[in-house]
Amino acid sequence: MAFGQILVNWLLLGSLYGAVALGVSLVWGIMNIVNLAHGAFVILGAYAAFWMYTQLHIDPYISIPLTMAFLFIIGWIVQYTLINRVIRAPFLVTFLLTFGLDLLIIDLVQQIFTSDLRSVNTIYAGSGLDIGSTHIAFDRLIAAAIAIVLTAALNYFLTHTREGNAILATGMDRDAARLMGINIRNTYALTFAIGAALAGAAGAMLAELYPFNPSNGDAFKLRAFAIVILGGLGSPWGALAGGLVFGLVETVVPLIPGVGPGYDDAIAFAVLVAVLIFRPDGLLGKPFYR
Amino acid sequence: MSDALSQPMASNSFGTNPSSAEQHNAPLLQLVDITKRFGGLSAVKDLSFSLQQGEILGVIGPNGAGKSTMVNLIGGSLAPTSGTIFYQGHDINRLPPHRRARLGIARTFQLTQPFIGLDIRENVMVGAFFGQRGLNRTGASRVADEVLERVNLAHKATFKGSQLTIADRKRLEIARALATNPQLLLLDEVMAGLTSTEVAQAVELIQQINKMGVTVLIIEHIVHAIATVSNRILVLHHGQKIAEDEPSQVLSDPKVIGAYLGERYAKERRAE
Amino acid sequence: MILRTKTAPTAKAPSLKQREERGWLWSLLLGLGILGLIATIPWFGDSSALHTWTLILMFVILAQSWNFIGGFTGYSAFGNVAFFGIGAYTTGLMLLSHQPFWLGLIADALVAALFAFLLGLPVLRLRGHYFAIATLGIAEALREFVAVRDIGGGGGGLMSLPLPSLDAYVGFFYAFLGLSLLCLLITVFLTRSRFGYALIAIRENEQAAEALGVPTYWYKVGSFVLSAVPTALAGGLYAYWATGFDPDTVFNVGISAEMVLLTYLGGSGTILGPLLGAIAFEYASFQLQTSGFSLHNTLLGLSIAIVTIFLPQGCVRLIQEFVRKPAPQSTSAHRLIEGVRRVRRFIAANGI
Repeated sequence: MAFGQILVNWLLLGSLYGAVALGVSLVWGIMNIVNLAHGAFVILGAYAAFWMYTQLHIDPYISIPLTMAFLFIIGWIVQYTLINRVIRAPFLVTFLLTFGLDLLIIDLVQQIFTSDLRSVNTIYAGSGLDIGSTHIAFDRLIAAAIAIVLTAALNYFLTHTREGNAILATGMDRDAARLMGINIRNTYALTFAIGAALAGAAGAMLAELYPFNPSNGDAFKLRAFAIVILGGLGSPWGALAGGLVFGLVETVVPLIPGVGPGYDDAIAFAVLVAVLIFRPDGLLGKPFYR
Repeated sequence: MSDALSQPMASNSFGTNPSSAEQHNAPLLQLVDITKRFGGLSAVKDLSFSLQQGEILGVIGPNGAGKSTMVNLIGGSLAPTSGTIFYQGHDINRLPPHRRARLGIARTFQLTQPFIGLDIRENVMVGAFFGQRGLNRTGASRVADEVLERVNLAHKATFKGSQLTIADRKRLEIARALATNPQLLLLDEVMAGLTSTEVAQAVELIQQINKMGVTVLIIEHIVHAIATVSNRILVLHHGQKIAEDEPSQVLSDPKVIGAYLGERYAKERRAE
Repeated sequence: MILRTKTAPTAKAPSLKQREERGWLWSLLLGLGILGLIATIPWFGDSSALHTWTLILMFVILAQSWNFIGGFTGYSAFGNVAFFGIGAYTTGLMLLSHQPFWLGLIADALVAALFAFLLGLPVLRLRGHYFAIATLGIAEALREFVAVRDIGGGGGGLMSLPLPSLDAYVGFFYAFLGLSLLCLLITVFLTRSRFGYALIAIRENEQAAEALGVPTYWYKVGSFVLSAVPTALAGGLYAYWATGFDPDTVFNVGISAEMVLLTYLGGSGTILGPLLGAIAFEYASFQLQTSGFSLHNTLLGLSIAIVTIFLPQGCVRLIQEFVRKPAPQSTSAHRLIEGVRRVRRFIAANGI
């Protein structure tokens, strides 16, 4: 494969990864909760987009706001009614609970949509820009753009709005934030809901780009954490940077002679442990949320 | 009771009071130019002092002066950025905390955290099992009972950690440390949060422990208590030593009054 | 020290002490009794009961051995299914190369111990979330590796083994039973021994344990290995028992979550918790299955939500709370009311 094509593939894949990891990073950084149901939220987003495409004929990219709203509501309810109850429990309890939710959601999606492989075939699927021998597919280009827009928007929201500041403050010091009059329960619900909404957006992109079935969320579980850990829990941009670095690793490692394709989780695991042991704060340094 | 120490100067600390002149000459513990930086902040800076066998050294200073960092450095939970710590003449910089514990350095923690899954006797038995070598269950249990008797917790031996008052938690911290059969005991604010009666009891307990041959380094904010119990007092301020002398000298030192004790304390002292 | 603090009367101490001393003994006897009852199933039950209880015992072992690292040491291993899979594949490979089954199990235990040791060295430097995610990663990565390299040889890692003889199934049952008995004894040993105290101390406060002379790192690695070996042996037994399996079955992270759930349901860090939790949940699950409810993951997910939210301390602790030191000379009705009150307080304090 030409170098230019590898570069383009990497940038597009990396930014998609960034979008998937964005919500994980936010929820983990602010609430210190590792949300294992994130993959299930991504899948819910994908099926929501798929449903709107087949039933209402709305393009998945156009329906992203609706998908995000849907996941936002689900995220809010899950946080408010379930996770809030164990927020002070040892972390394994929340870890286990989100894993249980993951199983539950995927099983339900499977009941509704079956485990058949689904895909969205837009008219522009397959078309794109050709620069020399390098092909840039439109749908991937748009996905990368959306990923960057989401990252920038989240960053702006956190630093420039009242609610965003409340989220940051809660993440830095929950008790101090409470004393300042911030409603922790609502702030957590908002944080978790935004995380779920971001997962929904990533799911819509997934639906547009790849064929998928309910168990595809698993593929993102480990990767999302590897990406978040790579980028550090620092900021939305950290997630994007982590996504790009991880995309690079995943693009390059199968090219190493003797390795070959198929080791995605093994790569994710190796990256995860290596970063945790050698650079516990991520490549970009200091933990800012905590 | 078995002896965990293999160093030449080792002596069984319970019941025996080291008296040979040689032991009094070489310091038990010596810090040489110890600096600990966290990022850009120096929590401890160029700190040097030594501790003789059998002494009680008090350490005072405002919050954030580096007192707890110092205990963590000696205990081994933190590694110094530069400088060397000698214990019984050996460089212990590279030893992990559990190795230091076996050499006879025991410590308490400012935030008491009993092992709540174990009862009080079992808490203390952990210290006996791991601070001393070759104890079986009966032996460790006996050591634990002895130590609990000494700190006056024997009647609560089967209580759970969560059932203890603050004062009892502090005693438990001391008991666990004592069960390791230490040469050197580092006490990190064991009197904080106690009533004045309990403080008096604690002072008495520390003096008793010291009489049994344990060298003590004690960090405390309760100035009158530390002045009573200590042979010498060291004052830390912004991670640096600003005074080190007998209690009466230190407490009337203008630098110490300015940095820590405050003018009101000085006036009260003069009034007395 | 002469000064007495305000205390409970000293006369109370000896009786209390006896109770504590007897607690583990009661648990052991009860555990032995339960396993003894289960041991009679091959005589009275039919082949489907044998099948069901063989699998229940397997989950008992998985929960019991997860309890070593998760309950005692307090390290949230989320990838213990990796050892199950390693056990299954090691034993399977030995059988395929015409080695006797017992030799396969020995190899299985050794491989798992070595793997847990080598893997424990890096991952036990991690804590909390990071440890949990890293162990989760191990299981996923191994599943993928076995599938991609097609370790089983049947495509995608699928492994098919020669069928054991028909009367071997009672043997499998007793092998699982024996292994869970061994795990019960190890658990009792942990609550009473130097090694076990060190693990509990690590769980409660690693820094304090280290300061008391516990070489925490090596004890963590030790408990990881201790947890891996029975899990792998269960995997080896399962392999021959099931004769055919693929990586998605024996490296399924859902089984890891199930180990945690079963232990939590019964009571993490207790002697009987994993045993009771596993029996209760798996038996109910089999009953549901035979009555037509096939959504195992939905059941698992719902149970996880219910247990984590309402019962994170487990049933055994509730029972302990219920029978804890009744006031002397109280009638049994009073004791009952008092016990119920205590349990309600306990749930309120530790639950939501």
